[in-house]
Amino acid sequence: MKIEQALAKLEEITATLERGDLPLDEAIRLFEEGLALAADTKRQLDAARLRVDQIVEQAKDTLDVEPFDVS
Amino acid sequence: MNEQRVYTVSELNRAARGLLETSLGDVWMKGEVAEVTRAPSGHLYFTLKDSEAEIDVVRFRGRAPVLAALEPGMVVLAFGHATVYEPRGRYQFVASLVQPVGAGLLHAAFERLKEKLRQEGLFDVSHKRPLPAFPRLIGVVTSPVGAAMHDIAAVLSRRWPLARVVLFPSSVQGEAAPGELVAALGRAGRFTLEGTPLDLVIVGRGGGAAEDLAAFNDERVARAVYACPVPVVSAVGHDIDVSITDFVADLRAPTPSAAAELTTPDRAEIAESVRRMAERLRVAVGTQLASVDRVLRSALRASLVREPRRLVETREQKLDFLVSQLLRVPREALAPQVARLRHAEDLLRLTDPRRPLERGYSITFVEGKTTPLRLAADVVLGQRVETVLAKGRIQSRVEGVREE
Repeated sequence: MKIEQALAKLEEITATLERGDLPLDEAIRLFEEGLALAADTKRQLDAARLRVDQIVEQAKDTLDVEPFDVS
Repeated sequence: MNEQRVYTVSELNRAARGLLETSLGDVWMKGEVAEVTRAPSGHLYFTLKDSEAEIDVVRFRGRAPVLAALEPGMVVLAFGHATVYEPRGRYQFVASLVQPVGAGLLHAAFERLKEKLRQEGLFDVSHKRPLPAFPRLIGVVTSPVGAAMHDIAAVLSRRWPLARVVLFPSSVQGEAAPGELVAALGRAGRFTLEGTPLDLVIVGRGGGAAEDLAAFNDERVARAVYACPVPVVSAVGHDIDVSITDFVADLRAPTPSAAAELTTPDRAEIAESVRRMAERLRVAVGTQLASVDRVLRSALRASLVREPRRLVETREQKLDFLVSQLLRVPREALAPQVARLRHAEDLLRLTDPRRPLERGYSITFVEGKTTPLRLAADVVLGQRVETVLAKGRIQSRVEGVREE
């Protein structure tokens, strides 16, 4: 799931739980879903490494992806 | 054949001067300054050159002041006319105005273009497109050798490495730069990765000594930025001058690093907000669980089944009491009867027929009878009898009877 989607979903789950009007089993199910989502988002943020590609024009507008040395 | 006219040196120089001054007239000339000489007279002599040629320039004292101190290497615009210095037959340029490139005429051209594009709506706020909050694919149109790309990569590595950066190389200075920038912007606009177009494109160059913003003031580049289907962030890297590209771009950043900062969220901030939400989740569910627990407890308190063991224990205790009461009935109420019973037992024990046997007496039965034998007449010869002793029995046959 994309980060912005995950954050929106997390916000929605949190708001729902904070209203506190769900049946308990449903609330616990949502809680688990929310925690898993938070952990996954955190993992994505932690694990990310920047990728840089270089696009050079080739014959007839063909696009080619080459690594770019960031260091 | 006409007789050929013979010029004197003076006449030739004068004629050449006249030709130059009348046919060329006043012109603007651009060139790089070399060999500056300030004569004691106050006149200023210098050489202007480009890659292929050079010309001597003189600016006479009393003309408009030079806008900046001339230094070798500086690129200037000179306004004046070409002429011949007759006494020496030297071709030269007499400048009435000298100014660094970027000022004056160029500035006027810049203002004209700016006004034209403004009227066409290229700077309209309504055309500025919003930038995505969490960009995944960022294009960079810049020189592959300048600092801009490294600056952007450095910021993104720290701040938002979830993005992927695609470099569209283009020169950013010189004659070819505008055309290359337009081509690179076109490629960036068409680019897709796994079906997804760029979220935004940063177009710019590193800061530094370079004075030449011309490529970013080029009308073609401005129109390419306007036409780009992807939001464009300009990062021309100049604090003072604002380029035409800056006006057209959806967002203007002072430097490439700043462009990277402005267009991306901070990973640490997002991680913190995720952490805070997880905490809110815990609190929300904790609150609900606590309230369920309270309801449950009060329900249990209200119920008769609260602490069932104690109910049983109470009843067990009561039962124990009753049993002990019950047990006291024979021990106390029936004591006299028990005493009598014991007495009777003692008496009974005295009448036990086995007691005389202990002292050597014995009892004899006729075989098959249950009453003890008391009279000799009750047996006949040869009859079998059984004698019971204190220990054991004797079977015998009657051999003689004597009645008395």
